[in-house]
Amino acid sequence: MIGPPFWLSVKVTAIAAILIFTIGTALALWLVRRRPRGRMVIETLIMLPLVLPPSVVGYYLLIVLGQQGPIVGWFGIRTLFSPTAAVIAATVVGLPLMVQAARAAIAAVDPALEQAARTLGCKETMVLWRVTLPLAKRGLLAGIVLGATRALGEFGATLMVAGNIPGRTQTLPLAIYDAVQTNQHDLTTQMVLLMTGLGFFSLWAVRRWEPASKGRDRP
Amino acid sequence: MSRLVVQARRHDARFELNVDFSIDGGTLVLFGASGAGKTSTLNAIAGLLSLNDGKIQIDDTIYYDASQGINLPASQRRLGYVFQNYALFPHLTVLENIAFGLGRQRDRLEHARQWLTRMRLKDFGERYPHELSGGQQQRVALARALAPRPRLLLLDEPFAALDRVLRERLQAELRQLQRDLSLIVVYVTHSLDDAFAVGDHMAVIHEGHVLQQGPLDDVFQHPVNETVAEIFGIRNLLRARIVGSQLDWLGLPLHTEITDRDRDRDRVSLYIQPSEVKIIYPDAPVAEGLGDNLFEAEIITRQRHAAGWSLRVRLSNDQNIEIHHATAAYNELDLAPGQKIRVAMKREALQILRRGDSA
Repeated sequence: MIGPPFWLSVKVTAIAAILIFTIGTALALWLVRRRPRGRMVIETLIMLPLVLPPSVVGYYLLIVLGQQGPIVGWFGIRTLFSPTAAVIAATVVGLPLMVQAARAAIAAVDPALEQAARTLGCKETMVLWRVTLPLAKRGLLAGIVLGATRALGEFGATLMVAGNIPGRTQTLPLAIYDAVQTNQHDLTTQMVLLMTGLGFFSLWAVRRWEPASKGRDRP
Repeated sequence: MSRLVVQARRHDARFELNVDFSIDGGTLVLFGASGAGKTSTLNAIAGLLSLNDGKIQIDDTIYYDASQGINLPASQRRLGYVFQNYALFPHLTVLENIAFGLGRQRDRLEHARQWLTRMRLKDFGERYPHELSGGQQQRVALARALAPRPRLLLLDEPFAALDRVLRERLQAELRQLQRDLSLIVVYVTHSLDDAFAVGDHMAVIHEGHVLQQGPLDDVFQHPVNETVAEIFGIRNLLRARIVGSQLDWLGLPLHTEITDRDRDRDRVSLYIQPSEVKIIYPDAPVAEGLGDNLFEAEIITRQRHAAGWSLRVRLSNDQNIEIHHATAAYNELDLAPGQKIRVAMKREALQILRRGDSA
């Protein structure tokens, strides 16, 4: 059955994408515009999930989300082996791609344009909505597509913190693993082709939105 | 009439800004070399640069007052600012750019269209900034800054990137707008042509300080010291001692009016515009007024310019001075390097600077 894992993947990815977009954009704005102390260390930490083995990311998440972890200890929220854990794992691995793209896009916005908006009566939030974000649009779109696609394909960390419970936490990548283990060749092929198609489409879309491409936003 | 008072102090590791000036209506030119602090001063007025101390006020609106702890954010200063590279929003059409500062007014697009017409941009409203020429972009930037009806307009080298014909046209338009809207304009430039075309008053900035301010002609005719004179590109800057009722310029006597202000000074700096140094025909009688300062000189170099010639000559005290003359003048004379000539300077043409020292 391709349906349940597909729809679960869609839901998990959709929620993760919203989180990746908002957290990633906010982090990028903070890093670029506020230039906080220790920026290099913070940026490197955010990027780490790109290079760490999924099992390492999964292990850290187990510690944070586990019984002795701060989420349970401080907030009393139990997330392990729930779809929520799958969302968290997907967010953590998708975030670096978003932050990277958003940082470049926001840094490319000419600060003089933001200054001009201020002298024309814009408060800081309006400067963000009317100038900074619209001008960084292409980079932000590219970032969220890459980040969401990465979230959709998340396997290792999800397996460790959300498990592989069919109908509850079994997303498409985990279902593919199961299907291979149980020799369901047709199902495997369907799901593999679906994932490949989605991946192709998102990379193609990102290529089209790349800042280097010509458009009215970037004369 | 509106009045703008600016006292802005800011110190950081790289730069010290300490400017003081005021203006009652009209256009004030902030004049100085690049890096002198002109743009920083505009940014301080606009609230885009934080200050350590001072006061900035237009009429009874206080933008900044360190002693009262007032610092109005840029978004609430309601002034117009035309940035050096225009800073038009590339993602918005010309019309949307002009309407940007009109907030949520219902007639904002209608109002912006009126500005399009006024700035001769009627057919360009739906274009994007990069589709316009430099002069058109400049007019969009002006319209955008003026559409919210500010009392104060700041311009940062607005015409620097434009060719001469366009620049002169826009300078005239700016003067017209200034009068029609009774604006106070603060205009930053390092070009004297620009300054004379648009300015009523001038403040000369150097290394973050205002060295001199006043009516434009007055400031230009009477630089207070050598630094200001050098900023204006004044060529023949001489240093002399006062001896009785005349000056001693390294052995040559110079005759000029010495006022009471200067009488008890020992040394003074003075200058003469290169076009005020006249060449005397060898066998002709010396015209009235030119006989006061008449010297033998030898031509060192001669160079052609768009408007005429420039000569460097050496006087008998081994000092060089520059002479500019129109293309058609002195046609009968041989002014090749090495030739000996007589030069004359009217006593009124010799301008004594108020202070001899560099500030």
